Amino acid sequence: MTTIVQTVDLKKTYMLGKVPVYALRGVNLKVESGDFVAIVGPSGSGKSTLLNLIGALDKPSEGKVLIDGVDVSALNDDQLAELRRRVGFVFQFFNLIPRLTASENVELPLAIAGLNKRERREKTFELLKAVGLSERVDHNPTEMSGGEQQRVAIARALANDPRFLLLDEPTGNIDSKTADMLVGLLKGLNEEKGVTIIMITHDMNIAKHAKHVIRLLDGRNEETKTEGEGD
Amino acid sequence: MNVLDIFSYAYSGIRLRKLRAALTTLGIVIGIAAIVALLSLSEGFRVAITSQFERGFALDVLTVTAGRGLGFGLGGVSSGTSEEYLTLNDARAIYGITGVKLSTAITSKSVSLSSGDLTFTITAAGINFTEYSQLYDTSFIAESGSIPLNPENDSIILGARIVDPWQNGTVFAEVGDYINVTWITGSITRPVVMNYVFHVVGVLKEIGGFSISGPSDTQVYIPISTAQTIFETDRVNQILVQLVNGDQTTIDSVTASVESLFDDKVSVLSPAAMLNTFSSILSTVQLFLTGLAGISLLVAGIGIMNIMIVSVMERTREIGILKSLGMKNKTVLVIFLCEAAVIGLLGAVIGIGFGYGLSSFVARFGLALMGGGGNGVLNGQRAGSVFNITPVLTPIVILGALVFGVATSVLFGLYPAWRASKLKPVEALRYE
Repeated sequence: MTTIVQTVDLKKTYMLGKVPVYALRGVNLKVESGDFVAIVGPSGSGKSTLLNLIGALDKPSEGKVLIDGVDVSALNDDQLAELRRRVGFVFQFFNLIPRLTASENVELPLAIAGLNKRERREKTFELLKAVGLSERVDHNPTEMSGGEQQRVAIARALANDPRFLLLDEPTGNIDSKTADMLVGLLKGLNEEKGVTIIMITHDMNIAKHAKHVIRLLDGRNEETKTEGEGD
Repeated sequence: MNVLDIFSYAYSGIRLRKLRAALTTLGIVIGIAAIVALLSLSEGFRVAITSQFERGFALDVLTVTAGRGLGFGLGGVSSGTSEEYLTLNDARAIYGITGVKLSTAITSKSVSLSSGDLTFTITAAGINFTEYSQLYDTSFIAESGSIPLNPENDSIILGARIVDPWQNGTVFAEVGDYINVTWITGSITRPVVMNYVFHVVGVLKEIGGFSISGPSDTQVYIPISTAQTIFETDRVNQILVQLVNGDQTTIDSVTASVESLFDDKVSVLSPAAMLNTFSSILSTVQLFLTGLAGISLLVAGIGIMNIMIVSVMERTREIGILKSLGMKNKTVLVIFLCEAAVIGLLGAVIGIGFGYGLSSFVARFGLALMGGGGNGVLNGQRAGSVFNITPVLTPIVILGALVFGVATSVLFGLYPAWRASKLKPVEALRYE
């Protein structure tokens, strides 16, 4: 197994006005290819900050984030943008572009990566089929339920065959029944297609489906324990 | 991301806020329309003048008027003061100068023509029929009737437009008709109305354009001897001097001789000098008006900047999403510049059409009002447009307007687009 994501003594400090906020105080973790990791912790524990750093959306104050062995801090804006194409983000509030249809939203990262129209169309259709939305291709996000929107977001995240999926409270804005379905979908992707998944959640019912759970508290990961469900 | 995708994404951003985009575009439309209207009108004006020179005004003909200054001789208006004026003898004196082939005088007056119930005001030019038709052998030609070399005292020749001045089929007079010419003499406070009946012997071929000098469609021509008798004057308004050739050296030497002959109390204008004067005036006016129109474009540009800054703020989260999907800063910049460019292009295209329409409208109605003057007022109606200008839209104006519209938009879109591209993904995604 190869290490996809590794953090080394990762620290992040924000300035809130003149007051420093220590969001991360030294996080050390490793995610291997094919893993399904849930990061849990109370609000304010630094979950989102960690996710932003792992996803190369932000740079650490101290320490290192290595993605495929590459130190994110050393990259310039363009290189970071290219790196992000290999990360599949799924956000709590879906973050779909409302004026685009489901298929256009899924197509967008493919267009950004420079695929031609025909390739994009084929891939988009496959992805939407894989998340069970082949009937909703031409609908706008506003015409969809939360669960459907989140599935579009997952399809979009998978578009560029990412090294790993990064999910920020993916079930935070949908009902529990839909959430179960969504977790089923993620598990399927992980087990059948070998997609590496890193998911932030504060819902233990969701987290228990992961192969590993990492607990964050006050900006540190307390322990890494295997729940043993997957292996 | 390829160009087409960037463009279509930018376009989807514009479609999102149709009314706002339309209003922003309107600013560009107004600016471009104003510029295009002014340029195409003045270009049409220039073409009309130039063609007039080419058609009716031989290059080897000088115009001598009394007094210094711009003796344009528009419709035979004299710029001389009452003390200094030219006579038939002066025309003969000029004829003696080396390099002069022909010298002929014109006495003109604003008169009213009436035939039946129809009356209108026009300029009557008293000319020597023989000399004048020699001088303008390509334009002073009869369409019907003839130009008699030894005219009767009551012979009159009509410009082409006088036959049907309203251009609606109402024939005012034809060859063989008798028309009554009236004019006002005496002082302004005690005017005396005089009249004389003329016999139409000829109608000129249509010349087109409008007259700076030379034969005109909207004048009537009578023998100069009759003119001086009935108008009770020995004064001539202009002396036209044809040279042996159109060389600049000949023009210069004859000009100098004529000026010294009259102690520098006359103006000698060559067609080239007139054209130059006219062109330079026109260029100045054009520049000034274009500058004004440019200000409206500047305002439009500021409008675009304003709207785009708002748009970037509103779409901060969207920009964050795009960046999280791996879009480079440069691409974000280009998308927003593209939005500005589309607005500019759209505005320019509409503006060009609108501007051309406006100039056509002005050419058709506006200039007719201006050109009413002594030539065109007919019983309260107007004799078509005396200034027959067709606005000219050159490819350069079209291209220039397009480039200018797009460039203005892009220039003012630069700052907002740059701001968008510099947004940090984390902060942009957090933006509510």
